[in-house]
Amino acid sequence: MEILMSILAGTLFAAGVYLLLQKQLLKIVLGTALISHGAHLFILTMGKLNRGKPPILVKGIEDYTDPLPQALILTSIVISFGVTSFLLVLAYRTYQSNKTDMMDQLRGTDDE
Amino acid sequence: MLHIYILIPFLAALVIGLAAKKVSRIHTGWFVLPVPAILFIMFCLKLPVLAEGKIVQSVADWIPSLDIQLSFYLDGLSMLFSLLITGIGALVVLYSIFYLSRKEQLVHFYVYLLLFMGSMLGVVLSDNVFVLYTFWEFTSISSFLLIGFWFYRDRSTYGAQKSMLITVFGGLSMLGALILMSNTAETNSIRVMIANRSDILESDLFVPILILLLVGAFTKSAQFPFHSWLPDAMEAPTPVSAYLHSATMVKAGLYLVARFSLIFSGSDVFFILVSGIGLITLCLGSFLASRQTDLKGILAYSTISQLGMIMAMLGFGTGVAILAAIFHIFNHATFKGSLFMIAGIVDHETGTRDIRRLGGLYTFMPISATLAFIGAFSMAGVPLPIFNGFLSKEMFFDSSLKLGQTTGFAGMFAEWIPIIAVLGSIFTFVYSMYLVFGTFMGKSNVKQLEKKPHEAPIGMLLSPIILVVFVILVGLLPNLINEPILAPAAAAVTGDLAITHLQFWHGLNAPFYMSLLVIGIGAVLAFTLKKWQPVYNRIPGKFSSDHWYQFMLNGLLKSSKIITGFLMTGSHRLYLSIILLFMVISTSVFMYFTDGFKISFDDLAPITWPEVLIGLVMAVAAIATILMTQRIAAIIVIGVVGYGLSLLFVFFRAPDLALTQLIVETITVALFLLCFAHLPALKKSDKKPSEKLVDFILASSTGALLTIVAVSSHSSKSFETISKYFVDNSYKLGGGDNIVNVILVDFRGLDTLFEIAVLGLAALGIYAMIKYRDKGDMNH
Amino acid sequence: MSNLVFLPIFIPLFVGALLIFFNEKHSLTLKLSFVSLVLNFGVSLYLTFFVFTTHPLILETGGWKAPYGIILVADQLSVIMILSVNVIAGAAALFAYNTVSHKMVKHYFYPLFFLLIAGVSGAFLTGDLFNLFVFFEVLLMASYGLIIIGGSKHQFRESVKYILLNLFSSILFVTTVSFLYSVTGTVNMAQLGQRVAEIEQEGILTGIAILLFIVFATKGALFPLYFWLPKSYIVPSPVVSALFGALLTKVGVYSMLRVYTLIFSHKLELTHTFFIWVASITMLIGVIGALSTSNVKLIIAYNIMPAIGFMLLGIGTFSPESLAGTIYYLVHDMAIKAALFFLAGLLVWHAGTSNLNKMGGYIKSSPLLGWMFFIAALVLAGIPPFSGFVGKYLLLRGAMDEEHYIAAGIGLLSSLLILFSVIRVFIGAFWGELKEEPKEKVNQPGLIASGILIFISIALGVGAEWFYPYIQSAADNLIDPQIYIDFVLKE
Repeated sequence: MEILMSILAGTLFAAGVYLLLQKQLLKIVLGTALISHGAHLFILTMGKLNRGKPPILVKGIEDYTDPLPQALILTSIVISFGVTSFLLVLAYRTYQSNKTDMMDQLRGTDDE
Repeated sequence: MLHIYILIPFLAALVIGLAAKKVSRIHTGWFVLPVPAILFIMFCLKLPVLAEGKIVQSVADWIPSLDIQLSFYLDGLSMLFSLLITGIGALVVLYSIFYLSRKEQLVHFYVYLLLFMGSMLGVVLSDNVFVLYTFWEFTSISSFLLIGFWFYRDRSTYGAQKSMLITVFGGLSMLGALILMSNTAETNSIRVMIANRSDILESDLFVPILILLLVGAFTKSAQFPFHSWLPDAMEAPTPVSAYLHSATMVKAGLYLVARFSLIFSGSDVFFILVSGIGLITLCLGSFLASRQTDLKGILAYSTISQLGMIMAMLGFGTGVAILAAIFHIFNHATFKGSLFMIAGIVDHETGTRDIRRLGGLYTFMPISATLAFIGAFSMAGVPLPIFNGFLSKEMFFDSSLKLGQTTGFAGMFAEWIPIIAVLGSIFTFVYSMYLVFGTFMGKSNVKQLEKKPHEAPIGMLLSPIILVVFVILVGLLPNLINEPILAPAAAAVTGDLAITHLQFWHGLNAPFYMSLLVIGIGAVLAFTLKKWQPVYNRIPGKFSSDHWYQFMLNGLLKSSKIITGFLMTGSHRLYLSIILLFMVISTSVFMYFTDGFKISFDDLAPITWPEVLIGLVMAVAAIATILMTQRIAAIIVIGVVGYGLSLLFVFFRAPDLALTQLIVETITVALFLLCFAHLPALKKSDKKPSEKLVDFILASSTGALLTIVAVSSHSSKSFETISKYFVDNSYKLGGGDNIVNVILVDFRGLDTLFEIAVLGLAALGIYAMIKYRDKGDMNH
Repeated sequence: MSNLVFLPIFIPLFVGALLIFFNEKHSLTLKLSFVSLVLNFGVSLYLTFFVFTTHPLILETGGWKAPYGIILVADQLSVIMILSVNVIAGAAALFAYNTVSHKMVKHYFYPLFFLLIAGVSGAFLTGDLFNLFVFFEVLLMASYGLIIIGGSKHQFRESVKYILLNLFSSILFVTTVSFLYSVTGTVNMAQLGQRVAEIEQEGILTGIAILLFIVFATKGALFPLYFWLPKSYIVPSPVVSALFGALLTKVGVYSMLRVYTLIFSHKLELTHTFFIWVASITMLIGVIGALSTSNVKLIIAYNIMPAIGFMLLGIGTFSPESLAGTIYYLVHDMAIKAALFFLAGLLVWHAGTSNLNKMGGYIKSSPLLGWMFFIAALVLAGIPPFSGFVGKYLLLRGAMDEEHYIAAGIGLLSSLLILFSVIRVFIGAFWGELKEEPKEKVNQPGLIASGILIFISIALGVGAEWFYPYIQSAADNLIDPQIYIDFVLKE
């Protein structure tokens, strides 16, 4: 299962990176969302899947799934959310001020 | 003690920099003059100590833990240079008082000059190689500032930049050599290095060390092929040219070679490089001097050539040659110093230094002319025993002849050396004669000059007169300076105390005939110079060092534009592609070499279909995101991926994650919808198929790499995780049933605190972005 | 005592949060900033004093001991970094005093500024790899806010690229941390060091080390991962550029310094040799960039890279001497890079253009600025006796001692080109005929701020003996990771 999930996470990464390489800002933002998903899936997978119960203590049960990766993912999800929202607004403002959402028109020169 | 000697010029610079503007009525130079004069006397007072064969030394702390100590010592060689630095320094300051008008930025001038004086003393007195290097770079910097003294002239700034680039280049090369030497000999002290010279001589790095060190010396002393900065340095005020660029700073390279020759002189490489480059420079410099038209240009190339001659003698390494080199260092300072000063006077009084516009000035300025003739004859080595230049040139010929007796590798070259020596000297004779006869004799062009020429004021003549007195005095009585100054200096270079009694008349021997030959051919060439000049002008051109400097500089600037333009295109796609490529290649290469790939099926969760199904849907949705052409459709498919992920979290027993992911995904989708409404519609990619292929390869190899690393990591679990502690103590110590929550708020509460900070920051940033709308008003 | 370790993070965090509510009150904001910076400087000075005179400090946050909870570790290297950050912060605040407009203040310049400091300080103090990621995000998020404050279209344009590339590397960071967790079962740096040493960094670990290097190298702007840096560093206000140039890339270097001494130092012949090559190319590409442009700010921005290259050279060489060189260079470069960004900013305002070809002769209208720039140029190029020399000396010596002659040669060559690239600015802008009348007078507090930093750079060189032994001691602690591991895990 872990191998399959690694492949899935890798696929999410690949699709996200492909989008990052596109010219349109909108697609790029979508790409970052996909990559974050991929990363979170990686983290979860790295802590072994489906071992023991959900990490909520219940009397009599000793075996729980690894809680630490879950905590790390939670932190990371929130941070990604912050960055993604920021990026979205930035994309919007960039489009507004530069009158284009195509990255190849957002190059700039030395002398400004 | 010696610290004070070095400190005095720096302190004086400070005082003058701060105070002199207050007394603008008196020429600043008068306040500066006592500094070198007193220092000169102070050094003279140490002469008796040296005469006893002792040296003066003193040490103070600078960075003891790095063994970079302010340790100074004064031996014969340092003494010679110190006397030149302070003696010529005093004369130059005196001269400058009359040369520079009070309207100039005198404070700047004298501060730079004093900085130079202190640094130069530091160079010749340092025992610690890195302190030597420090002062060495400072001489380059003060020279830069002095050349650029008239900073509004393009030629000055050009010359300043050129001299700095070339001499700092040499300085850094020297630094490389010094670090290697210090690593090899395990000391930073020159004297200890000399004492343990076998460490360096037997090192595998001997040749690189030698070459690096010599590059430093050659650049500073304007040796071929680094000589081209010196003519451009003539943009400095003439006192500076007389002082830095003929008498002192350019001799720092000679000092360096002389100082370290006890270590290197036995080696053939040293002999070939030093005397070879020296002789080439001698010939090239004197040849190029003959075709200059600017008085200071002639003198600049002449300096290059003379430095080459001294360098060659240092390379010969025999007792006679070293003494001759030392002698000539002194003599050159006297006659070249006086000639520079006269050139300055001519410039000052006539408004031009172009020799083609000058001529017949003897009638207007007889004293200057006389002084110039004596200086030039001494420089040309005219065989009259009243010129000190003749004596040292005679010794030069003598030592070149005696090389024939040496055996070994050096002997193979030796036969040719006297011929080259004569050749170089012929042109020396030519330009010397051209210089004085062209300026002071012949037809007068006075009417075309901007000013009516007349003799310079006595104050201005004083310094060159003193120097010329030395030319003749030493010419007549060489032993006056030999025993107290020259012999100890030579002894410091060769390592033994053989005082050669300097004869002032050698009789009719081989060197004398060589001199006669020089004069015979030289006279013919000199007086038919005009006919020869077209030939002169034809030869260098593309092969000149100046041309190469320009070529390299332009090439550097141009190629850096091209390279940077090629990399920094502003295209994020290129940037990201290179980053991905680098990541994929370097990581996989390293994994390959360290046997990183690993796959183990031992410890895996069983495959269950619901998860696989969700995974498949997510994969399809992720790929579909790429293909979507509608904004809404894109948002829906990306939502599928996000919600799929929260479903997976449910299945993989991470309820908190699932919940959070659900909420965040919902908000994100809402945000997407909100923002996308304001952004233009998705366009169909207009990329070429090849570009798409590249994107595909990069994307899939990134995904593949991460998958492989993940699988390998999962297959290499080597330790028990720290999570057991959380499971065991979540309730006991953390007081909560939900382990993930306890970790977040307690075990790893710091993460959570700052995760909130990140959210807050994002909110601030978003607010600022939306509210801050005033374009172009960012500066104040 | 150990609670003291949290203060350099807490004070800016608290003040930053507080100032959000006072964004309309300009003078109150300035006063509060001043007081808190002085306080924070005092704290970090005391912390440094304490750590060097007695012993390093550990703060177990929430009372959870390592390796389970997050710990903050104030060892010698960390406190040196913290002290330097606070010096830079103070100078930056002085520079900001009247170069940052009311409008910028209203749009949360100071909260962002303080949170940037909090994030940077956190990154220097944390002893936990995942927590390092969190602090990275804090400082990056603050930098995202700072880079767009002002709202011009170049700022948006360049910040998009800046954020994208940094976002990618951040995501890669967490992913790599999870890989490392899978192999070693921990995220505590000391325990990572211990466990990686136990299995001699075998198998996949070196691959992970390289991935992590990619992450830090992107933050630190090493070739070929530097692309985001030059242009994005010149679009914001000079004080922001200075903070970025002085602090952000240094966090990347610090992380490398920590991770590749403490954790991944068992396959030196592979990883660290690789670093030396990357370092050499970075130096060259950086100076080449600096020579390629006539935009004054861009020249300074490109000059960040050769400095980072020098520091990585020391990590790659991995000897006590060269690591000391890296730390020395790190401290030196913080001061002088900030100073140069300040000076370039002042010059550009003075001239009304950032194009060097349109400048000239300003030594007459602003001699102080000109001479400061001149000295700063010498400091940057590593001319003795200024601060750049000591670091460079140690690095070159270390590299030659370990027979990395080519890298040392490139280091020497790039020193020359660094000097050329900045002296060009001096010659072009200050010498020559006055081409255009200066647009405005040079800002005095700005000059004072630059002057303080230049003075520090000179002191770091001339007074090397006051600093070097401490730095060498910090380096000696790095070269033997067991010291750190034992101290943290108390075994």
